[in-house]
Amino acid sequence: MRIVIAEDDALLREGLALLLRAEDLDVVATAGTPGEFLVAVDEHAPDVAIVDVRMPPTHTDEGIVAAVEARRRRPGLAVLVLSAYVEQAFATDLFSVGAAGLGYLLKERVGRVEEFLAALHRVADGGSVIDPEVVAQLLARNRRTDTALSELSPREREVLGLMAEGLGNGAIAERLFVTDGAVHKHIRSIFSKLQLPPDDRADRRVTAVLRYLNGDRR
Amino acid sequence: MAYVQAQVRASVNALEHLVGGLGTATLALGALLWAATVAVTCLARVGLLAAPGALRAVRSVADRERARLSRRGEPIPTPGPVPAGLRTAARDPFVRRELGWVALYSLIGLVTGLVGLALPLYAVQDVTFPLWYRLLPADAGAPGIVWWRIDGLSEALAVGLLGVGWLAAAIWFSPVLARLQAWPGRWLLPPPPGVDLSLRVAELTATRAAALDAHAVELRRIERSLHDGTQNRLVAVNVLLGAARRALRRNPDRADEILGQAQDAAEQALGELRTVVRGILPPVLDDRGLVGALAGLAGSSVVPCRLEVDVAVRCAASVEATAYFVVAEALTNVVRHSGASQVDVAVRRERARLLVSIEDDGHGDADETRGSGLTGIRRRVEAYDGRMTLTSPPGGPTRMDVELPCGS
Repeated sequence: MRIVIAEDDALLREGLALLLRAEDLDVVATAGTPGEFLVAVDEHAPDVAIVDVRMPPTHTDEGIVAAVEARRRRPGLAVLVLSAYVEQAFATDLFSVGAAGLGYLLKERVGRVEEFLAALHRVADGGSVIDPEVVAQLLARNRRTDTALSELSPREREVLGLMAEGLGNGAIAERLFVTDGAVHKHIRSIFSKLQLPPDDRADRRVTAVLRYLNGDRR
Repeated sequence: MAYVQAQVRASVNALEHLVGGLGTATLALGALLWAATVAVTCLARVGLLAAPGALRAVRSVADRERARLSRRGEPIPTPGPVPAGLRTAARDPFVRRELGWVALYSLIGLVTGLVGLALPLYAVQDVTFPLWYRLLPADAGAPGIVWWRIDGLSEALAVGLLGVGWLAAAIWFSPVLARLQAWPGRWLLPPPPGVDLSLRVAELTATRAAALDAHAVELRRIERSLHDGTQNRLVAVNVLLGAARRALRRNPDRADEILGQAQDAAEQALGELRTVVRGILPPVLDDRGLVGALAGLAGSSVVPCRLEVDVAVRCAASVEATAYFVVAEALTNVVRHSGASQVDVAVRRERARLLVSIEDDGHGDADETRGSGLTGIRRRVEAYDGRMTLTSPPGGPTRMDVELPCGS
């Protein structure tokens, strides 16, 4: 797996590179600005980019903008966005063009190396990862505005939250201490309550997650 | 006698105002004619396009009168531009009252102005008549009184006496005329009751918004420095600790090295946190003001520091804090990196800008991309729309110039 890191803070950038290299991952380039990052993407053809949200010059959403541009230049590039805070608008921006191969994590998760690496692999394999904190905030917000979401039972909401984090049925069952069959039942019920018919061609898991991210988007 | 003196002085003042009023009244007459023409053409819908322009013209004349009356007595605030849109403008209480005023004033203002101006002119003409009546043929009559045959000095002196009468009338009546002339404006141009308060509120809101803006800039700066510095350091500590834990299992020697890096990052976080906290509002600024605070910095500098401060009027607290921060950081840099034996700090205020310069005689070659000190200075200065320039050729000297808007 070829990785590019875009992070303006030198110490953190080197720390991340050190951590990943110690895991025998191939960090092909590191960048401190959005411009350097795009050059590195063009030059090194990475599989995954790890991108900080706030980068120079204005330190607002340059990372998100650069990530979207990198995916336009290199379709299929997996991007894991790291953010110091939950910046919901940015997360929604990022996922508005589809969730496959995208992740949004708080920086503090990187310290839990095993979970971070799992998330990185999931994104690289085309899955999606959304930070539990983001999920919790979106859930609180969307429950007030989306009536379909408010019909979900607490357990189903929990399952949908874990789906949004990118977990598969098995992993969800493990987290909730229930059987695979029970998880499957919850997911079927979620799809029906969110009116996602079984013959729908779109990936229903992704659609459900997007529904989650933005109350009325289908 | 004193009473007459005061009366003469009052009438001279009044005359001055009457002449000024004559000017605005003439403009008002012009605006009235224009507005009337536009109103008539409006009936045929042609004038609708010209109506906003006519209203603006009336407003501009009214504003002149407001300014004139404000110079003389209680100030009358201007309501600002005419509201956009004819319907809104037609409902606007200011516009309605101004239209009334322009009609009333173009009559009263002109008549009072002309009479007020004529009285002293008649007085001068008639009082001096005995001196020049011989130049006129006898049957030309007195000035303005054709049927009064002037046959000799006695008649001329009688005309002069009439002139004294005119003079008395001018002295007694000018103040009354001036008051009469000002009356339409005093009545119709101030904001209608109730509206006055909203103007004051708008004014106060604007000044308060400016203060809040300055406040927001400061908060953003603190947020930025906490985010860019302390928080990122702590994230790095966290990342390195995670890596160290992984390494412990596989390669304990490597773990020790990573833990060392983590500790360095933690120390940096502490250092930066200290800088942020100290930079918010150094207590010494409150206690001793900018001059005292800078003197304290200069006095405790390891490299001998000459200080020159010329700031007669204090700047906004956040600007002074920034200047203090700049000097403190710059002196730290000089001590750490320059190898200088002397440093000069000059701070002066030029109109609305605070200029800070720091120059040392060290070996130069300061690089902004190395270390966070210079970057920190630049960021903080730019947060205030200020400018920072650094010249530091190899071999020295190093000079930093910082320019900050004072905000007061």
